[in-house]
Amino acid sequence: MDANAPTESLLLAAINYGDLEMPPTGKLPQAKIDVLTKWVTMGLPWTPGEVPQDTPSAKKLEPPVDDTAREFWSFRARMRPEVPTPENLGWVQNPIDAFVLSRLETASLAPAPPAAKHELLRRAYYDLTGLPPTPAQVQAFLQDERTEAFEEVVDQLLESPHYGEKWARHWLDIVRYAETNSYERDSAKPNIWRYRDYVIRSLNEDKPFDVFTREQLAGDELDEVTNESIIATGYFRLGTWQDEPVDGLQELYEDLDDMTRTTGEVFLGLTVGCARCHNHKLDPFPQRDYYRLLAFFSGIDRNTFTERPIASVAESQSQQKEIAAHQVKVEALKKLLEAVEKRVYDDFKDVEKEEFQHEQHKIAIVKKRVPKILSEAEFQRYVTLKEKEKELKKFQPTALRKALAVREIGRNARETFVLVRGNAHVRDEKVEPGFPEVLGFPDPTIQTLPEGINSSGRRRVLAEWITDPKNPLPARVMANRIWQHHFGRGIVRSPNNFGFHGIAPTHPELLDWLASELIDGEWKLKRMHKMIMLSNAYQMSSRANPQGLAEDPENNLWWRFEMRRLSAEELRDTIFAVNGSLNPKMYGRPIYPEIPAEVKQGQSRPGAGWGNSSPEERARRSIYIHIKRGLIVPMMAAFDVADADASCPVRFVTTQPTQALGMLNSAFVQRQAKVFAEFVSKQAAEDDTARVRLALLRACQRTPTASEIERGVEMLRVLRDDLGLAADQALEHYCLLVLNLNEMIYLD
Amino acid sequence: MNSKQPNFCGRTRREFLWQAGGGFTGLALAGLLGDDGFLKEQTVRADGLTPWKSPLLPKDPHFAPKAKNVIFLFMYGGPSHIDTFDYKPNMKGMDNKRVEVKTFGRGGRKNEGRIVEPRWDFKQYGECGKWVSDLFPNLGTCVDDIAFLHSMTADSPIHGSAMLMMNSGKISSGSPSVGSWVNYGLGTVNQDLPGFVLMLDPRGGPISGPKNWSSGYMPADYQATVLRSKGTPILDLAPPAGVSDAVQRQLLDALRAYNEEHLEPRAGNTNLSARIASYELAYRMQASAPEAVDLSQESEKTLKSYGIDDPEHPKASDFGRQCLLARRMVERGVRFVQIYSGGNHDDANWDAHGDLKHNHDMHAAETDKPLKGLIEDLKQRGMLDETLIVWGGEFGRQPTAEYDTGTGRDHNAYGFTMWLAGGGIKGGVSVGTTDELGSKAVDDRFHVKRLHATILHQMGMDPNRLTYFFNGLDEKLVGVEGAEPIREIL
Repeated sequence: MDANAPTESLLLAAINYGDLEMPPTGKLPQAKIDVLTKWVTMGLPWTPGEVPQDTPSAKKLEPPVDDTAREFWSFRARMRPEVPTPENLGWVQNPIDAFVLSRLETASLAPAPPAAKHELLRRAYYDLTGLPPTPAQVQAFLQDERTEAFEEVVDQLLESPHYGEKWARHWLDIVRYAETNSYERDSAKPNIWRYRDYVIRSLNEDKPFDVFTREQLAGDELDEVTNESIIATGYFRLGTWQDEPVDGLQELYEDLDDMTRTTGEVFLGLTVGCARCHNHKLDPFPQRDYYRLLAFFSGIDRNTFTERPIASVAESQSQQKEIAAHQVKVEALKKLLEAVEKRVYDDFKDVEKEEFQHEQHKIAIVKKRVPKILSEAEFQRYVTLKEKEKELKKFQPTALRKALAVREIGRNARETFVLVRGNAHVRDEKVEPGFPEVLGFPDPTIQTLPEGINSSGRRRVLAEWITDPKNPLPARVMANRIWQHHFGRGIVRSPNNFGFHGIAPTHPELLDWLASELIDGEWKLKRMHKMIMLSNAYQMSSRANPQGLAEDPENNLWWRFEMRRLSAEELRDTIFAVNGSLNPKMYGRPIYPEIPAEVKQGQSRPGAGWGNSSPEERARRSIYIHIKRGLIVPMMAAFDVADADASCPVRFVTTQPTQALGMLNSAFVQRQAKVFAEFVSKQAAEDDTARVRLALLRACQRTPTASEIERGVEMLRVLRDDLGLAADQALEHYCLLVLNLNEMIYLD
Repeated sequence: MNSKQPNFCGRTRREFLWQAGGGFTGLALAGLLGDDGFLKEQTVRADGLTPWKSPLLPKDPHFAPKAKNVIFLFMYGGPSHIDTFDYKPNMKGMDNKRVEVKTFGRGGRKNEGRIVEPRWDFKQYGECGKWVSDLFPNLGTCVDDIAFLHSMTADSPIHGSAMLMMNSGKISSGSPSVGSWVNYGLGTVNQDLPGFVLMLDPRGGPISGPKNWSSGYMPADYQATVLRSKGTPILDLAPPAGVSDAVQRQLLDALRAYNEEHLEPRAGNTNLSARIASYELAYRMQASAPEAVDLSQESEKTLKSYGIDDPEHPKASDFGRQCLLARRMVERGVRFVQIYSGGNHDDANWDAHGDLKHNHDMHAAETDKPLKGLIEDLKQRGMLDETLIVWGGEFGRQPTAEYDTGTGRDHNAYGFTMWLAGGGIKGGVSVGTTDELGSKAVDDRFHVKRLHATILHQMGMDPNRLTYFFNGLDEKLVGVEGAEPIREIL
């Protein structure tokens, strides 16, 4: 404020909604503005004694970084807890049971009896592969009475390539994997599917989780950079990406925020993103912590389309001729196209010149010049050339293989500042890369990378810190996720939030024990799965008992196993598995299931960006479906797939009538019911009883009871005899019913 | 465990539950939420005693609402305010004059430009004497029921992000839309119809497509259901041709028998009973939705009043039908209806980059008569008081030309007009002003958040208290800073 010109003060400008607007919630009433104006013109008189201190309540809300914070259960050093000794030692298969049972005994609750064999088998198959067992697999297991039978099944399932397909999906949820950018164009991210395949392969190989982490965060900065580790850094290209930013600098920080926030939640279980605009209100993270963490990413180039070649030298050399020949064709075609475009260009209106920059408009704009400039024949030739161009673009020799990967702006990262209220244009103090203060690690030194690596080396330091066994968080966070996807929820039920106001662990010692096992077992996941699944805790029945319901209705103490609904992917895959048409082909470019025209109608260019796949390709597993942020396959959306705009640690499980409508009436499910009926007709004897039995057996993976079969037989009879349906139609309806059974969609 | 914890912004155990898995199987929400009246109807018990309740069951508002339903008429593409309702008589005669004016649109930032004077004459209407352009001769007669906001501002002049802002309050992708917030806060009173219904322009969806009506980080219960004005109204609503009701009933009855048998030893699992109930709801919806869209129940006079199949308004049938459907929806308790005028790209919507006259003549002719029809019909039926109508696009347009020649205007988020009617809104008022060219809002600027705050407030919700806990934050439709409703028009 200038005392000589009080009415020109910034304060008055702001409250009068000049260039600035204060308060942001809405302009003050004129009376209040008048009072403030008077005060300013009076020269801002004030009485020191009456100045209010910073409101204590606001201060108190920001937890300080003190000993209390450092001793918080997730921030303090992790130690391997002693395994307790419960009374009923007979129930204890391994230490997991000891931890679970000792808590149950303290609460005087008894663990549920073991699950029925077929229920356990189904649980294991879905948990590890996301697919049901076949009737033959069920039969074999039911007949195998050896004690090691279940262990052998678990071993087989862990070796199944479907294991990676199932567990990759859990990982893709938290890293918010999608294959397009969102916003107006919602463009496809080229080659991003290689990242999806990388995750599947890594899991199937049982790649240690620390290696998996380092590759994703810094695969381009490691001592040994491989194609695989370059693909892994696609991790930084998965988010939404605005190709038309209103404010370029701010948008850079939106992207860096997205990376910082996601990395914090995924690997550390910390909602550091909340400290972007101010000190964290709930956790002991000063705003500085956020920017010091963000500084690890400050070298990253925003250009999402930086693809990096991943072909071997040998490949590149062996295919040089082929590539050169292709290039000649491309050039020749380009000339022909340009010759036509040149003739019409001057006739374009300004709007058209603008639109002509985008591929999808070209043909329509050129067409408007028929017959004025081009003859119909010339135009047709242009269209043919454009089609040829499309064809040529499909040329993808392995030597030109590329991956969408991270790339930095150079060997020096941008300087990083604390940004006032998160505004990229208002800098406060400068910061260097560093770790959250509360965890008590010394500030890192960033080592310059060897010549030839055009990168700051910052992410490598972050990755090394995250995978340092002394870091208390990552092993806890990952052990919790493994538990979550076997038991339906984590020991910590807010898997992305291990902070003060996350949900405290129900079994903190068990969590630390699992985390210790994870690290001591060289960060290998398969060993953890097996240990968990061989526990009695995992093998309990899901049936409730009155005492448990009364005393622990939420099942916090795990006195029974929790039922769960199949995920959207599992449900779709199950339909194919049950009707015998599942195509087990793995990896590669995404597939495009059919999307009804009326759903595409919601796009501004109906159908844009959605390709075509053959029926066989469409019967592949759901993890290969193209994930287009702006157009989600209806069945996937209805059954609660993760919204890919932010990390999704726990999916919703909603129950809505629109799900029922889709499962009854959609063209997709109708068609699959028909396939199912054909399968059943072929595989079973020409007899209602045999067909009903087979349909139920395939969907529920158990031998149906006589009354269940009778109900189906009766329905077929009524449909044919009373309602006049043909035999095959009646069977299709019955098969449709079977695909809708709660028993198929829920696991015990 | 059950107690309310000290918290920031009123965050409670409830939000943890949503974050940690709103749909977690068998979680005893009831005990945890018992002290939280706002969401008590959403509770589900694991004891099997409390019947399943839809998350869309009606819930108590924060305070007595003025409006029960919202009809949001989205003029996608961005209508030009100075050619419609923001009268700039001084621009007459300024055509082609070059002036210094700061603009920001898809063509970037500019400091000067060539004026395109408004292409339509303005007339005064109603007792309030509001000046309205000749684009809206029918709607003009309703101005005494309308409150005009001439000083709207938004954060982006680019369609993709501006659409998201107008619908979800943020320029980034991933947040729930206004309709989702309203359904989350209030539920819906008719369980046989969706609570949030959307109707698209026949030419296609808007830019950013389904992101505009997604429930973002909220569960799918709150996302919009797209309703078509012709054919089967809702996706997968009808069984395939040739499947009779008797056949379907056979299937559903047998399915129910199987599912109930399956439930018996699993009593207490409310998810299983909810799924059984959802099939009955779906069946009921198959009957109620076609009834709700059956315009043969409407009189000739009513149809005509909306401009449907009226030779005098040959372009108005589509939008007219949708407006009439909107009335029928709110009549049946649908909370939030959104209709798009304009779809696809270029002149298929209000995005008049090329020929302003051609573009706005077309879109006004499609909507003018239906808009009047809707307001008058609601009024006649005594429904206008409790139905809040919102009209506007994602931004307005610039006073200057986008190119060296022609009348096309680029986008303008610095200042534009929206209007509201019904639902406790004052009629015949205009608030806020833009500068003499309409290039930016000057007095009483209203950010989009203020519009959202006004909608929530009229529906009986405090925009600064309606929160949803996500990723460590109490998210609000109006953002962390909050926003006050526009009290000048209440």
